[in-house]
Amino acid sequence: MIQFSDKKLQEVQQIIARYPDGKQRSAVIPVLHLAQQEFGGWLDVPVMDYVASLLQLKPIEVYEVATFYSMFNLKPVGKYMFEVCQTGPCMLRGSDDIIAYIGEKLGIKPGETTADGMFTLKTVECLGACGYAPMMQMGKYYKEHLTKEKVDQIIADCRREAGLVANN
Amino acid sequence: MARKLLLEKAHVENIRYYDVYRREGGYRSVEKALKSMNPDEVTEEVKKSGLRGRGGAGFPTGMKWSFLAKPEGVPRYLVVNADESEPGTFKDRYLMEFIPHLLIEGMIVSSFALGANRSYIYIRGEYWWIVDILEQAIQEARNNGWLGKNIQGSGFDCDIFVQRGAGAYICGEETALIESLEGKRGNPRIKPPFPAVKGLWDSPTVVNNVETIAAVVPIINEGGEEYAKIGVGKSTGTKLISACGNLKKPGVYEIDMTISVEEFIFSDEYCGGIANGKRLKACIPGGSSVPILPANLLLKTAKGETRMMNYESLSDGGFATGSMMGSGGFIVLDEDQCVVKHTYTLARFYRHESCGQCSPCREGTGWMEKLLLRLENGQGKSSDIDLLWDIQRKIEGNTICPLGDAAAWPVAAAIRHFRDEFEWHVTNAAEAQTRNFGLAHYAEPLVVQS
Repeated sequence: MIQFSDKKLQEVQQIIARYPDGKQRSAVIPVLHLAQQEFGGWLDVPVMDYVASLLQLKPIEVYEVATFYSMFNLKPVGKYMFEVCQTGPCMLRGSDDIIAYIGEKLGIKPGETTADGMFTLKTVECLGACGYAPMMQMGKYYKEHLTKEKVDQIIADCRREAGLVANN
Repeated sequence: MARKLLLEKAHVENIRYYDVYRREGGYRSVEKALKSMNPDEVTEEVKKSGLRGRGGAGFPTGMKWSFLAKPEGVPRYLVVNADESEPGTFKDRYLMEFIPHLLIEGMIVSSFALGANRSYIYIRGEYWWIVDILEQAIQEARNNGWLGKNIQGSGFDCDIFVQRGAGAYICGEETALIESLEGKRGNPRIKPPFPAVKGLWDSPTVVNNVETIAAVVPIINEGGEEYAKIGVGKSTGTKLISACGNLKKPGVYEIDMTISVEEFIFSDEYCGGIANGKRLKACIPGGSSVPILPANLLLKTAKGETRMMNYESLSDGGFATGSMMGSGGFIVLDEDQCVVKHTYTLARFYRHESCGQCSPCREGTGWMEKLLLRLENGQGKSSDIDLLWDIQRKIEGNTICPLGDAAAWPVAAAIRHFRDEFEWHVTNAAEAQTRNFGLAHYAEPLVVQS
């Protein structure tokens, strides 16, 4: 059963209150963000239908939004998603090598998720961190000035956080 | 040391928080505007300042405000464009991260001028953590009586809300941004009607860049005429430049638009020269959409004059030999970098970000990406270069919004100035496949200033 907690439902009401009466359609992107966080990091069709019902929209009005914006995941992703920028300014500073290195370390290609569901590697277009390249987004934050050593550290930290170190 | 108006206090410890910001003179412009000016007088100061939109188009802000329709009984909106997504551009992020109250302050004054009681910051979804910073600042401003009902006893009501996008360059285009804020796909609208007449929820709306709205604070504090004295000609005030690529000191710099490009790149006060002792090859001075220039045309105009970091000088020579100030995203390529490959990544970017409404852009960006990849990989033909030129020409000017132009211009300029490098990729196919860069030492050797 897809259902926000009471606390999250309150948050939805707060989001709707940002707009004039009757304009709750504007809440669709913020509520989809919330839903993606709550329901496993991606937007399955029943999740989008639930968002539609909350905002009194037709399901198609939610689908067309969810499929337009690159931050909405339409298939399952790993617990940690490495979104590495590959646009010009990052490319000049070696993003290709970083992408290849992460792929090699994790044994996956861009767009893939490790078999244990831990990591997803994704290439993305400019994230507005060009002066701190190469870089990637990981959840809410940016990881900038990436080097191979830094990538090693980030992966180790993720594994430690997930309690998987003992199994390695 | 150049005059700083926006970032002067950005590194005061804890300036992110209200108490410190206020102690350092914050919110004076709101006091001044609300207590001693009427809305039209605020707009008049902005007009006098000569402030031009800092998002890329450079349109005079005061004039944009004066276009706002004011029908009786219809709400008006101010929307701040924080969807900073143009490759090479990361200045608004810097401002919002370090000194968020400057934006909030500018928004209150601007909302007062426009008669907007509800204003929005539309921020790109990836700047996720900055949403928290802005919301904290808004909460502090509200707690201290700068937002809400009857601000400082003036009778003016204003609230600010942050709307987070979800990954779409196109939403930096103002009508796409409005569509997105209404909860739809970011498909740009056909203009007219302009947002000033029919914008957010069909109401009159002004959409301004973060830096533009922040600049309203010093304009009101010091007066429009004082602001206009800084800079040169129609490039008044200060401009944030985000410098990246192969530089010793990439980062965000506030300049007063009187310095030369050479000084900006090579002096220690700014970028400190090219990284790793390499030479300057080329530069895209105003965000990925504007024309790339080879080093010789970057530092001097075709007429042989020193090229300056301002709107007029950067565009001197038109697209034949000049470029644009654009968003201030300053991308530098050193002698080892390949223009073909760099242009390919930009074409890929525009293909990825095309909203798909107009076929010249939707199809054309994909064709350009494929042709550039083929050339980069040494699998291209000489005729591909002409085809590429042909495609970009057929995109430019044939789309609803400027993304089409933005996709076409970098390809056009790369071919215009670096055609020999494209041809090298055809004639040296094997080498193009194994080597990660094109024509080394393309740029004429430069005398590097100490």
